[in-house]
Amino acid sequence: MAECDNTLENCGYKSGVLPRCAPLATTYVPVQGDPEPRYEPEKALARGTLFPGLDLPLGNIVNQDTADVPMAELMAIDFAAHDLSLYLDTHPDDSEAFAVYKDLLALAEEGMQRYVKRYGPICKTDLVNARSYCWLRGPWPWEMTATREA
Amino acid sequence: MFIYQKRLQYPIRIANPNPALAKFIISQYGGPNGELGASMRYLSQRFAMPSDEIKGILTDIGTEELGHLEMVGTIIHQLTRNLTPEEIKAKGFDTYFVDHTVGVFPQAASGEPWNAISIGVSGDVIADLTEDMAAEQKARATYDNILRLSDDPDVNNVIRFLREREVVHFQRFGEALNKATEKMNQANVYFMNPAFPGR
Repeated sequence: MAECDNTLENCGYKSGVLPRCAPLATTYVPVQGDPEPRYEPEKALARGTLFPGLDLPLGNIVNQDTADVPMAELMAIDFAAHDLSLYLDTHPDDSEAFAVYKDLLALAEEGMQRYVKRYGPICKTDLVNARSYCWLRGPWPWEMTATREA
Repeated sequence: MFIYQKRLQYPIRIANPNPALAKFIISQYGGPNGELGASMRYLSQRFAMPSDEIKGILTDIGTEELGHLEMVGTIIHQLTRNLTPEEIKAKGFDTYFVDHTVGVFPQAASGEPWNAISIGVSGDVIADLTEDMAAEQKARATYDNILRLSDDPDVNNVIRFLREREVVHFQRFGEALNKATEKMNQANVYFMNPAFPGR
């Protein structure tokens, strides 16, 4: 993909003209050409997207970071995988992106197991190795406590 | 089916309760451009869709929206904890409180309860995906307005995340619509609705 400056003047993306036979009265959204460049998972979570090209904030005010919670790392990896999966939904033949997706899923799985071991179940299926039915133990995700685990 | 994950998509820790903010942010819980409508719109549109790609994107974005509904509910909950009746009156939260105490009810900022009339399920591929793109823009514009009205950094951090998700979803629905129309009659994309091919 061509490198673009801030004004996009050198991209030439506006130079294409539809031929006469092209269908009218339909939408044309520019298709994301490629999943590169990508943010690191922590930055992706803070910004709300894995992709710098889609990171379009109001007034250029952006999040520098997220609240510091024990799950932050896992949230970041899981979010990066999720955002890439939406890309894959519209680009299912991008094998390179799929390879990255699988790496992220493996990392998320590892992080999930570490978290569950330390703080308790995320899904009820995590109880398979639990000593007691600890599903009910708080805090629940919406609860704000000084020593919040979730 | 759905399985609950006992976690949020994005961390929310709001240090200062403030029912004045909760009063308008609740619109993204149950208002016309909110997350309840978003999830119901996409998850309901899926059933009539003719292609696996569209079924997939509606399922995946609709599911994410359920997580956003939980996040907006979390913001309301944290903004309305530990309140006294005096604070409730002073911050104008009394008209909500009288019916709902500090429960989280799906309503618009105006008090109008959530209504399915705010979503579209036309059963038409082009109409539904075009609606979805518009819905993402309306939600983005509502989050813009919340950022204009709120000065709480803990709240705005989360709102900026949710707002950016609307931009990404717009892109994906647009790509899905591109792909759908590419498969249609190119001389006349309205020749028939592939979700009801019998004409």
